Amino acid sequence: MTNFFLQALAEVGTPSVLGLIVIGVLFGIIGGSIPGFTVTMAILVVFPFTFAMDPVSGVSLMVGVFVGGYSGGIVSGVMLGIPGTPSSITTVYDGYPMAQKGEPGRALGIGVAASFLGTLISVAVLVFFGPLIASFSMNFRPWEITALIVFALTLVAGLSSGALLKGLMAAALGLLITTVGYDRNSNLRFDFGLPALGSGFEILPVMIGIFAFSQLLGNIEKLKDEKTDAKKIDTNVTIPYGQILKDMRGQKLNTLRSSLIGSLVGALPGTGGTVANFLSYDQAKKFSRRPEEFGTGTPSGIVASEASNSAVAGGAFVPTLALGIPGDLPMAIMMGVLILHGITPGPMMFEQNPVLVGAIYASLLIGAVVMVLCNLLLVRWFAKISLIPQQILVPIVLMLCAIGAYALNNNLFDIWVLFIFGVIGYLLWKAEVPLTPLILGVVLGDNLERQLFRALELNESWLTFLTRPLSALFLSLAVASILFSLYQDRKIQRLRNAAQRENV
Amino acid sequence: MLTLTKDRALALALLLIVAVMWVESGDIRPPTSWQPYGSALFPRILLVVIGVLSLMILVRSLLVKVPERVGAQQLIKEWFQSRHTIVALFLLFGLYAALLPLVGYITATIGFLVASLALLMGTNTRRKWIINLTLSFTLTLVIFVVFRYGLNVWLP
Repeated sequence: MTNFFLQALAEVGTPSVLGLIVIGVLFGIIGGSIPGFTVTMAILVVFPFTFAMDPVSGVSLMVGVFVGGYSGGIVSGVMLGIPGTPSSITTVYDGYPMAQKGEPGRALGIGVAASFLGTLISVAVLVFFGPLIASFSMNFRPWEITALIVFALTLVAGLSSGALLKGLMAAALGLLITTVGYDRNSNLRFDFGLPALGSGFEILPVMIGIFAFSQLLGNIEKLKDEKTDAKKIDTNVTIPYGQILKDMRGQKLNTLRSSLIGSLVGALPGTGGTVANFLSYDQAKKFSRRPEEFGTGTPSGIVASEASNSAVAGGAFVPTLALGIPGDLPMAIMMGVLILHGITPGPMMFEQNPVLVGAIYASLLIGAVVMVLCNLLLVRWFAKISLIPQQILVPIVLMLCAIGAYALNNNLFDIWVLFIFGVIGYLLWKAEVPLTPLILGVVLGDNLERQLFRALELNESWLTFLTRPLSALFLSLAVASILFSLYQDRKIQRLRNAAQRENV
Repeated sequence: MLTLTKDRALALALLLIVAVMWVESGDIRPPTSWQPYGSALFPRILLVVIGVLSLMILVRSLLVKVPERVGAQQLIKEWFQSRHTIVALFLLFGLYAALLPLVGYITATIGFLVASLALLMGTNTRRKWIINLTLSFTLTLVIFVVFRYGLNVWLP
């Protein structure tokens, strides 16, 4: 392990790759700090720039965006009182009140320090658990992999905030999209007489279309509906380093607990930074001796929020690298980057591409250091950039999406794919269909079909899925996750009905 | 008459897609002795799943009482009026995709950025025009240089 890590460190340590990590972190922080832009959007915009790069450079750039993006939400959260990303909502609870009391530098400093420590702890979790899980999953045969993918999809669909049916339907729709074009037996499917459909849809334009259009146009709709006035903020921030060191000394346990929650939640499919953020804030409040201070500008609240959401970055890599199953949208795109560079994420990656795995570890560590330096030195600029209005951002990002889709294969048809899936994504978003299961379906579709039929070719009985212990376990968990979601849906519905009755 | 809600529209649209895809799946090469499951089985399983889930969404939406509203045509008209910016942005993007191979990256991109920034920011002050034109021209050229000379990617 030490050998391949040192080799990876040597590759990542070259000036060009270090430069890419710095660019990635900077862009990630900017993306995370602009309200409504999100980490996922930042990753999507940077993705096309990796096409012409070697795998280590491309992955390092993307990891930089991850690390920067998860920490970027703190800038707008503290300065504007608006979370830059959904994963920094609870940062606002204490960061903004602290800034309002005249200590924005202290709030930002604590947040950055917590983000840094959260990332480091999550890398340790990744380094320890990644190879362990990968080595265990080497025993998985097609039955287990099929059942695991089904479980991941049902789990993600079930976590779609009270919309289980729509979540499951979205996952199936995502899988169906991957059946267009020539299949594993070179048989043509669903080409509707159009030669361009013969090669199927590229994952990237489909993902960008579905996610970016719904997100960007949704932001425009919100602007129209809310018509909020632009806030005027004082970007003249000084970081009180001594005070922050003192604050952080009293937050050791909180930092460790929040980082572990972030890493664990990040490793679970369908959860991500937002869940980690709320869970860790809630736990910090419960364990605190002064819970009444939460929400008034206490350092504990900022630490719980920022350590957990940054720790998601390392944790989320565990299932992606070890099992080949991305847990959330940013990881689905990361998996797209790896596939694009001819690398199949999964247990074999640790044996076949150990240097690349090491490069991911190294980029996360270097990215964390760069993130601290950038945030502390350039916080004024990030605060100013976070004020860029959506009216300017949306056309620019749409243009970058179009160029990104084209640059993938130098194929104009991919821009049309982007456009059509943009319309579909927007309509589905309007119909309140969760889009994460759909995108995961698109990413996992090919592998699910391949594994399912490999299993059936080895043993034609479908019952084998239930007679093999691990496969049966994953399928049982899939059923359990659906039943649990049904129970949650009913509970939410009962609460809504009760609230309606109270209002009447 | 039944009121068209989001869930009902979604379920009906999906059922239509399932029907079309099912018919189209009839054109897929049938199973053979060396491909006993055939290439149509997997998509057909998914079509059944989507069909059943759509029916469940439809039935559930029919069980919920909704206030009777104006017809679907009126509803769509109202949506177009309130969201004309979104519709215009989609049209501009479609036009951009169509013009890219005809007039090339630089002209099409400048045109798209100027038009969409004008649509979203407005054109009522000189300052807005200056921001619009500066951003459109500089960004188009910067992206061109980065892709063409930095990443060796040819743009149309």
